[in-house]
Amino acid sequence: MTVEEIRGSDHEIDRFPIGMRVLAVDDNPTCLKLLEGLLRKCQYHVTTTNQAITALNMLRENRNRFDLVISDVYMPDMDGFKLLELVGLEMDLPVIMLSGNGDRNLVMKGVTHGACDYLVKPVRLEELRNIWQHVIRRKVESKSKNNHEKSDQGKEGGDQNEKLNRKRKDEDTDEENGNESDDPTTKKKARVVWSIDLHRKFVAAINQLGIEKAVPKRILDLMNVDGLTRENVASHLQKYRLYLKRISQQANMVVTFGGNDASSYMRMSPLDGLGDFRTLSCSGRLPNATYAPPGMLGRLNSATGVALHSLTAPPLVQPNHTQTKLQPAVSSNHQNVNLFQGIPPSFDLDQRQYCSKPNTQLTDVSSIDESRIFTGTNLAGFSSIDEPRMFRGSSTFTDPISVLANQAGVKLTSTGAESFNDLSDNSGFLDQNGNQPPNFSSNLNLLPLAESYSYPAVINGGFSSNITTAAAPIEPHGGGLVGDIVQNVNRSLPNQKGGTRSKQDYSQYSQNALTTQATTSALAGYGSLSGPVSHSRPNGGRSIPVQTEQIKLQSGFVSNKSYGSLDDIIPGMMKQEQDTTMPMNGEFGYDPYIDPDREYNDESSL
Amino acid sequence: MEQNHTKRQIKVTRNSLFEQGYLDEQFSQLEDLQDEANPNFVKEIVTLFFSDSTRLIRNVENALESYPLDFCKLDDYMHQFMGSSSSIGAKKVKNECTQFQECCKAMNADGCIRAFQRVKQEHAVLKRKLEAYFQVSL
Repeated sequence: MTVEEIRGSDHEIDRFPIGMRVLAVDDNPTCLKLLEGLLRKCQYHVTTTNQAITALNMLRENRNRFDLVISDVYMPDMDGFKLLELVGLEMDLPVIMLSGNGDRNLVMKGVTHGACDYLVKPVRLEELRNIWQHVIRRKVESKSKNNHEKSDQGKEGGDQNEKLNRKRKDEDTDEENGNESDDPTTKKKARVVWSIDLHRKFVAAINQLGIEKAVPKRILDLMNVDGLTRENVASHLQKYRLYLKRISQQANMVVTFGGNDASSYMRMSPLDGLGDFRTLSCSGRLPNATYAPPGMLGRLNSATGVALHSLTAPPLVQPNHTQTKLQPAVSSNHQNVNLFQGIPPSFDLDQRQYCSKPNTQLTDVSSIDESRIFTGTNLAGFSSIDEPRMFRGSSTFTDPISVLANQAGVKLTSTGAESFNDLSDNSGFLDQNGNQPPNFSSNLNLLPLAESYSYPAVINGGFSSNITTAAAPIEPHGGGLVGDIVQNVNRSLPNQKGGTRSKQDYSQYSQNALTTQATTSALAGYGSLSGPVSHSRPNGGRSIPVQTEQIKLQSGFVSNKSYGSLDDIIPGMMKQEQDTTMPMNGEFGYDPYIDPDREYNDESSL
Repeated sequence: MEQNHTKRQIKVTRNSLFEQGYLDEQFSQLEDLQDEANPNFVKEIVTLFFSDSTRLIRNVENALESYPLDFCKLDDYMHQFMGSSSSIGAKKVKNECTQFQECCKAMNADGCIRAFQRVKQEHAVLKRKLEAYFQVSL
């Protein structure tokens, strides 16, 4: 066949019911002509006869020649119902009855004799447009019958499919069909199962042809599989195209969401890194505990783990660089969260909450907490990420927070994340407080905490400021710790910040956190943080030092950029903290997460 | 100008056929089916109708002359007449056929004869009008 023919046939096949072969039988010439005109208008292929016997002979001669029969009921040479019966029995073709009489009894008779449908004259075009469904239905039934019986009868159905595809073109194909149908269990007959191999071949063929040029016929030829029909390929191609579309839409979403820095973060920390973080994080605490608010944390961990992976997708990490506002970051995080496909829904939600909150909040420390957590967590994940990033981007992490959490308690810092967010925004972070979190850019809010956190308190443990404040920063590192710390920080922050921030407490936490964090290299970034943090840490300092040290260990990166500024930040943060209500303490909601040993609870929310 | 006049005339003629009840919606369907692939569809099918219905009328006339009347057969003929008339939208003809069928069911010989007369009459009128219409629109 020529290309055109092939294409044409493919085209037809693809465009079923166009080209469906109908046999029209009516002794009334006017009615027959009308019927013919209507069917042609529907783009069917029409054959007419005014004699039932002729029709029967035609069908018997080659049952594969037609897809559907439409017959009048009252005919001189043969009763329409009789014809109906015979066709159904011998050829298993769908038959539609036609009559000027719509009498219920007649209709009933038609149905009981096996008619697919009963139309009353004058027939309308709309009615005829839908008759192809009977063909499909019959085929489906046949196929299932085939599967069961593998009988010749079944073949009819399968053959019909074949017919559709081939007959259209020319009679030659009928023979093919005939041949194929000779084999009772030919694939044609049976439903085609698209096995992995088959699908691989299919995809390979498509790739070879190019998706634009992939027409069923060509695909079929390339695949070179016996018994596979163009129609099979055509329908499979249709599904495949829909699938591709769906995938690309998802991908777009991901890209849209995560495209930001966060993604970069994510990328930075390869999943592997994340994994590391996780372990690092919070010495175990974080990952699970994740400062994230009670429910969240738990989720975070898991989520983060997941998220992290998924984080690679931009979404999570999105750096909230909104720096100017945490909020923006938060929102971005949200998106990220969503994007994380891997992230458990709950997690996402939580994260989002966090994220959103913190970012937006910064003012609301409490809310931030969550975000902080994220940020913190993010940081954790960031282990691989540059420190600076950690601090900075954290905001974006909001979602990542979960990630972070996993990664390192850092997430928790998210709570401080808020602060982080600010921080992460890197600078934006401080904005809220007025301080610019130095590098918090790393979404990790965590890190930023330390830095940017204006949370004075936060800085404590580095994180203590939790999250909101850079305090968290320390925590973030640890991944888990950070978070913890953050929480602590948060909690303590309030203390601290308000001046009451019990940095000390915080520091305690942070210390703990730090220590843990320290252990967790995740804090890497924080490590540096800790360094600075410690310095700045308002809190008891005692803890801080410890922490900071630890942090230092951990975060190599943390310190980078921002740390230097941490010192600056911290004070700034502190200010911020003061400025902002450091609700963090209890507000972080870390409570749940917090290390059992810790006394976060002293703060309220904790 | 003449062309315009003709077109207008065609339109007027057509509309009057509808308005006067000679044709109904089904005729419009026929017109819809006419396209590039079937440029003379309407005329072809109407021509077919008249040749077929003329044959039927002859059959009915013959049947009406036999005694006693075979109402079943008559009913069958009318059924066919009905089918064709409704297919082209010959409204008045169709209505008269229905009347005829009622008489057949009632085994009303006289009624049948009278009804059939009306069927023939409407049939003739329609034929004249459509011939004129097609001549003009050709």
